[in-house]
Amino acid sequence: MTQQKDARRGPAYRLAVAGRIVLAVLGGYAVAALLTALLSLTLPLVRSEAVASATLVSFAVMVAVVVYVFAARTLGRAALAVAGLAAVLGGGLWLAGGFSAAGAA
Amino acid sequence: MTAIVVALNLALCFAGLSALALSLDRHHRDAFLVRAGAARARTLRIAGWAGIGLSFAAAVTLEGWNFGSVQWVGTLTGAALLVVAFLSYRPGWLRPAALLALPIALVALPLALYG
Amino acid sequence: MRQGFRQSMAWLHAWSGLVVGWVLFSVFVTGTASYYRAEISQWMRPELVAGATDPASSADLAAAYLQKAMPDAVGWYVELPKPEKPAVGVMWWKSLDGPFHQALLDSTSGAPVGARDTRGGDFLYRFHFELGMPPLWGRWIVGTCALVMLVALVSGIVTHRRIFADFFTFRRRRSQRGWLDAHNVFGVLALPFHLMITYTGLVTLAPMYMPWGVAAAYKGGEMRFYVDSGLMPDLRGPAGKPGTLAPLSSMIAQAIAERGEAPEGVSVYNPADAAASVVAIFEEPHGLAHEHPQIAFDGTTGAVLGRNGATRAAAKTSTVMLGLHEGHFAGAALRALFFLCGIMGAATVATGLVLWAVARAPKGAKADGFGVRLVRVLNLGTIAGLPAGIAAYFLANRLLPLDLAARADWEVGVFFGAWALVAVLGAVRPAGTVWREGLALVGALFLAVPFVGAIATGLHPLAGELRFLGFDAAMIVLGVLFVLAARKAGRPRPPQAQRADAAIAGREALRA
Repeated sequence: MTQQKDARRGPAYRLAVAGRIVLAVLGGYAVAALLTALLSLTLPLVRSEAVASATLVSFAVMVAVVVYVFAARTLGRAALAVAGLAAVLGGGLWLAGGFSAAGAA
Repeated sequence: MTAIVVALNLALCFAGLSALALSLDRHHRDAFLVRAGAARARTLRIAGWAGIGLSFAAAVTLEGWNFGSVQWVGTLTGAALLVVAFLSYRPGWLRPAALLALPIALVALPLALYG
Repeated sequence: MRQGFRQSMAWLHAWSGLVVGWVLFSVFVTGTASYYRAEISQWMRPELVAGATDPASSADLAAAYLQKAMPDAVGWYVELPKPEKPAVGVMWWKSLDGPFHQALLDSTSGAPVGARDTRGGDFLYRFHFELGMPPLWGRWIVGTCALVMLVALVSGIVTHRRIFADFFTFRRRRSQRGWLDAHNVFGVLALPFHLMITYTGLVTLAPMYMPWGVAAAYKGGEMRFYVDSGLMPDLRGPAGKPGTLAPLSSMIAQAIAERGEAPEGVSVYNPADAAASVVAIFEEPHGLAHEHPQIAFDGTTGAVLGRNGATRAAAKTSTVMLGLHEGHFAGAALRALFFLCGIMGAATVATGLVLWAVARAPKGAKADGFGVRLVRVLNLGTIAGLPAGIAAYFLANRLLPLDLAARADWEVGVFFGAWALVAVLGAVRPAGTVWREGLALVGALFLAVPFVGAIATGLHPLAGELRFLGFDAAMIVLGVLFVLAARKAGRPRPPQAQRADAAIAGREALRA
């Protein structure tokens, strides 16, 4: 127990924890924000309803990402998964016209 | 009106949760110094779920699905806290208190329906 | 980080709970007090006595006052008087970014009321999502902590594997096991409330925390979202030409005729413009949803411009979440249960914080490390300090001279001052007795409130004044509870509790 604990106090361990925190905060928010925007544009509902539904679930999405980041076996794997998810969502949002300047649908 | 339904819910939830707590060996021993036998534990468990189910039915019938279920969850929490307080301070009083809750529920029911 | 899902969740629960625990405790305590915001405000303005009021005529008086205060305002808001709150609240602003000015007017003369200058229950209410900081900062910090709270709840559920078997278990020993049991009991029994209040709190401020859906779907026309959702009527912009505002009373009379009740407030947009609009806002009808029916009038002619539409499923879900968070729908009994649940939320956080320090206290005669000592000091500084601040805030309301300049700010100053003082005392007093001293002080402060109040104002039951019986009783109950807690904290730990601690293996104790 104690020996394990000492191993966990090393700089590498601390860096990995810090990395997960940054990934959870930035990655979690990015995924939640991208998904909210994407669903707002693509859900087959009245516009205001799509926005309201997407916004309602956004916090659950962020919590899920944060939990995943801390549960993943390694930081690298978590970073890869979150970045991949964000890229897919970002691509979808681009296709849905989420990044075009103005002119609401 | 609503206050009477809250009282009814509290009484039923408290009786039900007490029975459920007493169906667990640890708490049965605290209250009666002996373990609950298998048959007694089962009876208590059935009685407990019946009390909780009745209270939910009463809340939903008297207050509607939305309002009733919110109110029911609130009373469930309050009743559970009371059960825990009895178990840790006066475990021997839990059974009489739960039995006392039943006539209270019986009085509250007609008041809630026709009061 | 640990190997295995449950171990990583235990780690996440312990550390996420710790870093936001002090803020969460403050949010839970002040938010819970906000269930009785109106009652606290009434107690803090004893000069206002309930009485009959006329909403329509007092709206005209308010408009006359606002006309003088800021004729070129972008917006006014008039909170109409009710029998139990007979004064007229007015707000006015030149920009939606603030500052928002406000005053309380007498409903028959239209002059500022003679009641003492105080922020009343509104201060505690705003503190619970702004922490007394600049609003943007406070809201982001509270929002972040709320999200971490959700993470802590999810990881806590995973960590606490025997939820049902341990449902009623609270072994009342002052040991690590006792703290763990208490943390579980408060957390699990009120779990539906904790999940509800945290999620709905985030949803309440969702337009600020998660604006990207609205931004993507309503590029540049974000206000349209609220109109489409049925949350507000379609309002017109200013015409840029001066106009004259028609009497508010005639519009209020129309509103009363249409809905059979007086609105709770009236908003006026661009009052000096030819395209001024007036919106009558009604109280939420009975039900869970926080939805205010609204009627918009042309401010210069008094003609009806429109109403807010009906909400559909998703918008309705949002408003129900808001309604659940605020609990306005709850009658006295249910409100008391919500209050109890709020206290249990605060207790869950507090016991978790104490447990963190107890579980990491070095065994035997070794001295505490810096980290554990810091957590201990912050624990006492928050758990005893904040209640001391609230009690001192109430005492200041009765003791500060009535003609003191910026009196309301002084009350708030006393709140923070008392809190800081208890925190500092907690840091310098010996660790063995500090909890007893701190909790006893809080108890004494709460017990003093009714008596100081009675002496300072001459309003008490013996003088035939029964308005504040409920508030005074609550103060006495709180005071007695803190005194009992202080007595318990002062008792020496029984030897079997120490043996029990030694018997808890590292993993059983949840975290390392």
